[in-house]
Amino acid sequence: MERTSRFSAALIFVAPLAVLVVLWAVLVPALGVRPQIFPSVAAVGRAGIDSILDGSLLRHVAASVSRVAIGTVLAVLVAVPLGILMGVSRGVSAFVTPLMRFFSVLAGIAWIPIATLWFGYGFGAIVFVIFNAVFFVVAYNTLLGVSTIPMTLRHAAASLGAGRRSMLTDVLLPGALPNIVTGIRTGLGFAWRGLIAAEMIATDVGLGYMLFVARDFYQTEVIVLGMIVIGTLWLLIDRLLLVPLERATIERWGLVSP
Amino acid sequence: MKSLSLKNLAKTYFDAYKGEHVTAIRDVSLEVPAGEFVSIVGPSGCGKSTILNMVAGFIPHSGGDILVGGEAVKGPGPDRGVVFQSFALFPWKTVLDNVGFGPKMRGVPKAERDAIAREYLALAGLSHAADRYPNELSGGMQQRVGVVRALANQPDVLLMDEPFASVDAQTRMTLQDELSRIWEERRPTVVFITHDVPEAVFLANRVVVLSKGKVLAEVDVPISRPRVWDRLVADDQFKDLSNQVLALVRSA
Repeated sequence: MERTSRFSAALIFVAPLAVLVVLWAVLVPALGVRPQIFPSVAAVGRAGIDSILDGSLLRHVAASVSRVAIGTVLAVLVAVPLGILMGVSRGVSAFVTPLMRFFSVLAGIAWIPIATLWFGYGFGAIVFVIFNAVFFVVAYNTLLGVSTIPMTLRHAAASLGAGRRSMLTDVLLPGALPNIVTGIRTGLGFAWRGLIAAEMIATDVGLGYMLFVARDFYQTEVIVLGMIVIGTLWLLIDRLLLVPLERATIERWGLVSP
Repeated sequence: MKSLSLKNLAKTYFDAYKGEHVTAIRDVSLEVPAGEFVSIVGPSGCGKSTILNMVAGFIPHSGGDILVGGEAVKGPGPDRGVVFQSFALFPWKTVLDNVGFGPKMRGVPKAERDAIAREYLALAGLSHAADRYPNELSGGMQQRVGVVRALANQPDVLLMDEPFASVDAQTRMTLQDELSRIWEERRPTVVFITHDVPEAVFLANRVVVLSKGKVLAEVDVPISRPRVWDRLVADDQFKDLSNQVLALVRSA
C-alpha cells in the first residue's frame, strides 16, 4: 500500500518533466532549430555519455557537490550555536539582529567579488559564498526554533533537574531541530544557486564552470546537459535527503499533522 | 517526602499595560506536612497558579518564605515535581524517555532509568505506551505520563497545576480515581491547584480556599480512603463538604 502510493507519487512528480522532454524531442526537429540555438535530445544524450566516459562530468559534479557540502557543514556548525545563543540571551539577540538583517540581504553572490580578492579564484572563494548563503538562514531559523519552544517545556526540564548543559542538549537543540532542518533546506537552495553563479566566475572546475565554458564554444548540448544535471542533482538532494529529514523531525513529533 | 511551608508569601509585579504595581498574592501562610494532599481552590485571578509558580521556582516571590523540608527555595529544582495543565511532555522523546528524564538528569545509567520508568508507567497502566511519542497519545494518556514523569523523579513535594482541566469530563474522573489510588499507595506531599470544587474535595486531605491573594478558609476532608467516584458520587459527607467549599468559593 505504502509502496504503491509512493511509486504513484513519484510518477506524478516525474510526469510533467517527461512531457517537457517529449515536447523538446518533437519541437526541435519539427521547427528546424539550429544546434547553436538549442540542441536536440540526442545531442545532449551523446554529450552526457561522452562526459561520463571521459570522467569530466564526474569531476565537475564532485567539485560542485563537495563545495556545497563543506560550505554548508561549516555554516551549520557556526550558525546553530549562534542561533541558540540569540534564542536564550536577549542581549546577544539585540546586538546581532540588526547585523543579521543587514547581511542577510547581501548573502550569496554579492560576496563573490570580495571573496575572490580574499581567497583567490577557486575553492576558498566558492565555499565562502556557500557559507554565506546558508549561514544566515540557518541562524535565523535556529533562533526562531528556540524562541518557539514553549516556556512550560523549559520549566518542566528545570523542575526535573536539568542544568544548563542538559537544557541545551535535551530541550533547546531538539526543540529547535525542526526549524534548523527547515533552515538548512532553504539555505541549501540558496547555496545551490549561489554555487553555480560563483563557479561561472571564480573557478576552473564545477558545473557552473562547465556551463560557462561550453558557451564560448557554442556547445549548447553541454550547456543543456549541465542545466539538467544541476536541476536533477538538486531534486535528488532535496527529495532523498532534506525532505525525509524534515519529515523525521517535524511529523514524528507532531509539530504539524502528517 | 518532605513538608512544605509558606510563610507570609507575597507577590507584587509591575503591570506594564496598566502602568502600575499589582498585588497578586497579599499574605499567604500555609503548612503542608509531609505526606499530605492539599488542594487550593478559588475563582480565576485569585492567585492560585501564581503561588504554584513561585513554589516551583519559575517566578520569584516578592516577600515571605517558601520552605521545603525547612530549606528555602531558590529557583526550580528536582525536589519539587511539577505536573502542568498543558502536560509539557517533550514531543521529541518517547514516553519511556520522558518518564526517565528526571533520573537521567540525576545521572542514573540508561538501563536503570528505563527500569524506573517502566515501573512507574506500570503504576498508571501505561506499560504498552512506553515506545510511543506523546503526540500519538490521547490527552488523558498524555497527562498520565505527565503525572508519572513527575513521580518517577521522587520529588519531596508534588505540585499539580490544574492538571486535569484540559481533558474531557469522563477521562477526568478516571484520572482522579487513579491519582487518588496512586497517592494512597505512595503518599507523596501534594499541592493541587484547581477551580473544580468536587475535584479538590475528592482528592485532598484539606482544601484551601483562596480569594484575592489571601487564604479565605481551610476545610479538612476527613472522608475515608480509598476514595473512588463509584462510592463518593452518592456519599453525603462528600456532598456536604463540596457544598461547604463551593459556598466559600462563591462568597470569595
